[in-house]
Amino acid sequence: MNKLGVITFIILSCLSSILSAQEKHTISGTITDNNSNETLIGVNVIIPELKTGTVTNSYGFYSITLPEGSYEIQISYLGFKTISETINLNQDLTKNYALEEAAESLDEVVITDDVEQLSIKKPQMSVNALSIKTIKQMPVVLGEVDVIKSITLLPGVTNGGEGASGFNVRGGSADQNLILLDEAIIFNSSHLFGFFSVFNPDAIKDLKLYKGGIPAKYGGRVSSVLDIYQKEGNSNAFKMNGGIGLVSSRLLAEGPIKKGKGSFLFGGRSSYAHLFLPLFDLDNTAYFYDLNTKLSYKTNDNNSFYLSGYFGRDVFEISDSFENSYGNAVLNFRWNHLFSDKLFSNLSLIYSDYDYDLELSFVGFDWESGIRNFNVKYDLKHYISNNFRLEYGLNSIYYKFNPGEIIPLGPDSGINRFKLIDKYAFENAIYIDANHDISNKLSLSYGLRLSAFHRLGQEELNTYENNEPVVFNEDLGIYQKAEPIGVDTFSRGDVIESFANLEPRLSLAYQLNQNSSVKASYNRMAQYLHLLSNTNSPTPLDVWTPSGRYIKPQILDQFAIGYFRNLNERLLSLEIEGFYKTIQNRIDYIDGADLIANNAIEQVILNGEARAYGAEFLLRKNKGRLQGWLSYTWSRSEQRTPGRTLNEPGINNGQWYKTPWDKTHDVSLTLSYNLNKKLSLSSNFLYQTGIPATFPNGQYEYNGVVVPSYESRNSSRLPAYHRLDFALNYTPNPDSRKRFKGNWVFSVYNIYNRRNAASITFRENRFSGANEAIRLSIFGIVPSVTYNFKF
Amino acid sequence: MKLKYIIYVFALALLSCEDVIEVDLNSSEPRLVVEASIDWLNNTPGNLQEVKLSLSAPFFNEEIPPATGANVTVTKGDGTVFTFLEGDNPGLYNCVDFIPEINENYTLTIIYEGEIYSASETLKPVAPIDYIEQNNDGGFSGEDIEIKAFYTDPADEDNYYFFEFLSDLTPVPSLEVYEDRFTNGNQIFGFYTEEDLEAGNTIRIRNHGVSQEFYDFMFLLLQQGSEDSGGPFETQPATVRGNCVNLTNPDNFPFGFFRLSQVDEVTYIVE
Repeated sequence: MNKLGVITFIILSCLSSILSAQEKHTISGTITDNNSNETLIGVNVIIPELKTGTVTNSYGFYSITLPEGSYEIQISYLGFKTISETINLNQDLTKNYALEEAAESLDEVVITDDVEQLSIKKPQMSVNALSIKTIKQMPVVLGEVDVIKSITLLPGVTNGGEGASGFNVRGGSADQNLILLDEAIIFNSSHLFGFFSVFNPDAIKDLKLYKGGIPAKYGGRVSSVLDIYQKEGNSNAFKMNGGIGLVSSRLLAEGPIKKGKGSFLFGGRSSYAHLFLPLFDLDNTAYFYDLNTKLSYKTNDNNSFYLSGYFGRDVFEISDSFENSYGNAVLNFRWNHLFSDKLFSNLSLIYSDYDYDLELSFVGFDWESGIRNFNVKYDLKHYISNNFRLEYGLNSIYYKFNPGEIIPLGPDSGINRFKLIDKYAFENAIYIDANHDISNKLSLSYGLRLSAFHRLGQEELNTYENNEPVVFNEDLGIYQKAEPIGVDTFSRGDVIESFANLEPRLSLAYQLNQNSSVKASYNRMAQYLHLLSNTNSPTPLDVWTPSGRYIKPQILDQFAIGYFRNLNERLLSLEIEGFYKTIQNRIDYIDGADLIANNAIEQVILNGEARAYGAEFLLRKNKGRLQGWLSYTWSRSEQRTPGRTLNEPGINNGQWYKTPWDKTHDVSLTLSYNLNKKLSLSSNFLYQTGIPATFPNGQYEYNGVVVPSYESRNSSRLPAYHRLDFALNYTPNPDSRKRFKGNWVFSVYNIYNRRNAASITFRENRFSGANEAIRLSIFGIVPSVTYNFKF
Repeated sequence: MKLKYIIYVFALALLSCEDVIEVDLNSSEPRLVVEASIDWLNNTPGNLQEVKLSLSAPFFNEEIPPATGANVTVTKGDGTVFTFLEGDNPGLYNCVDFIPEINENYTLTIIYEGEIYSASETLKPVAPIDYIEQNNDGGFSGEDIEIKAFYTDPADEDNYYFFEFLSDLTPVPSLEVYEDRFTNGNQIFGFYTEEDLEAGNTIRIRNHGVSQEFYDFMFLLLQQGSEDSGGPFETQPATVRGNCVNLTNPDNFPFGFFRLSQVDEVTYIVE
């Protein structure tokens, strides 16, 4: 409580030191790619002589207020030619810029005087950003460019191993990441159990992962924010691009609706490996597809409208007896409106439907579950002066959770119809965030988010003695479900339980000299939805559940400090960060908790806490023929669930135990080398400490089967994970003037064929009766070929 | 339900690889293992019963040591005491005059190495097996033989079933437990499949009526070391606690369970 008080006081006292007015004028506008008219995010707009500047927002809009005068303005953005011009600022100006793509320059050592100085100055820290161009060049398994796997090569991000879906940021679990696609929440970020991500890289314009120092406009998940924006589509000319790979192919079409004003984008991606399965005499199917669609229209200088849709699906079928399909569908309408040249607004109306369907005809039933939500967001960006910017807005989400329904197939099925009770909730937030350049050396970003969550009425809710849904059986020494003593009924308008949380956010940057700075941040985040999963990595069967009478929201506090330095005229850059986070109300499961089709989840869960801490190191080489980075993270991630009273042991005897994604050392070396215009090579090398595992320390026999008995949770580790990948990028005619252009990517994943253990299982061999340790490894050496084209 | 098993086995089977490897493991102190399963086979008097006591051992040991020299008795609800005597086979304690009774309460008492262990359970009835159905195009390849043993669940109560499938193909039995939460009152089946099953193989199928405590116990036990475990969808391993307690020293609890069931058995020859 004291922490909160001090921070609130700091925020309030800073707000009162806003500069007073001189004769000032505002210059604002939108910056686009001159070829496609695509708006550009994060473009640097700098006034060198005033040592000030700004960047374009997620919709390409910038605004900066300066004293009257004549200045040189520099517009620069990676991959594009810098524009430099003199402007006479004696009244408010609207200046739009169209940037030209820079030619591939191999030996480029650009003198980028004040350009990158801004990133040293900005208080924003703990961000992993990768351009789509870099991601597409990295070698990947089966030739499938994977946005999420690429992010794990930067510090602070990891995953539970090959075959594990989702990703883990700074020791957080996979359900603690807020994944946004054009402002809409995506619940499941993986296809085929984590082998591929749901994001088609051709449709993406920009992506950023916030690991800490999270601005107040984001909330609802405690560990990270993955903010992804789709392209609008080329509003000048019709273009297509795509790729043909071994496992899947993609095709994207974009073009103008009305030249210069409106555009469409339509992209699809589908796998087809299943078409070859009949060759192996298997009557099975496994495929996924994505559809990214967007319509954009700029009615006038002050208004733009966007309608985007994303549909993704995974389908498995095993010879008619088993059919599984699931996926996200998101429909999103947005309206950008400029109230003035200093006040930019965006209104988003979003509908999202995540559903999961499983048909087991050999047993005789169909299982359906899902989440629907309606989301309204209103975000305003107020460019008050050249050293003070305010962002504020509100966010409202209405959820309907269908935890599952079992539908018998046909009258002679042996299964009865069963519906788990639908759950409803309402999540709201308002926020305000200030970006304040206090002096030439000190920049602050401070904000407050007030979030509220209402768990709405549902058909039935169990009541328990002493409000305890889990009891401890002292005789047997185990936790058991408590018998309900009654059932409460509610109507939809009732509120079962409410929560409200103040989430202060603070970050600062202090420039030590032209090339280096120190940064620090603190944020508090609240999360009201929980993914119930007692497996090491999420499965699509896992159910999202809202906080309520028996489940409290997760609350996180994270501190981070960092040192940032540019070396050798910005040839190299160094980022070092340390972080510490604690999470209250982390759910843990009693032994044997059966989460499938469980109407009363509260009977099998206990309340615990989690913490993570570590240090991240990133050294990047930004220019020249050889580019890349070395990333190293040292960290610890653990949780514990002590007993509720002195008589109870808790989980794992109430001791801290490592989470399934804890990796002490995580090293990645990613390099790319441009040989000439036709060829470039890239490679990745990864080394990670093996993930924690629980090994047996004995065995016994019961009813003819061998049963292992285990030591304390996650006290052992799997062998270390390491591999080396290579890719060769070949462009046959780089100087071709033809409209059709193509290039080949040849890649080899895991070139020395290391059998990395995804898990080790201990069991009895069914035929010999002897006990064995069985290592499951997923990918050995995997070569692949992809052909990319555009016209 | 074996939903999770089916999903990931298929996905990983596409691309993954399993190898037997060497791992160094720690060893814990041995614990008593109580396999006190009173089975009253239909159409038999049920007077011959056996209790097996053994000890836990290091994981890679080939032999399971028996627990010898224990004193084993079972007391019926009406006070009758049945004594189990260790014969020539170490660790096996036999009784020749047991009286099984449906829904009657029994208490097991074991004195081993100076400590007293105790458990209490009810003898549960079971619905008989109606018929066996064989499907020849099952499994992921569409070529495996699947066996379904149908029975009809009584609608007026909560029932739990424990199925044993013992085939002449493997020394290790196939075990399943079922609850009637989704199938109450219906005719439903116990499921068995084995990759190399072929015509002529003999399968002994037994359906036991069990309590909810045994269902919870066995459900957890089968997750610990079976083919179902492994991979990223593995649930956390757990120490499976049965219904037996050590009255002398509660921390030195035994593994295993004291179960009493009515049993229906069918011997099926694969066609």
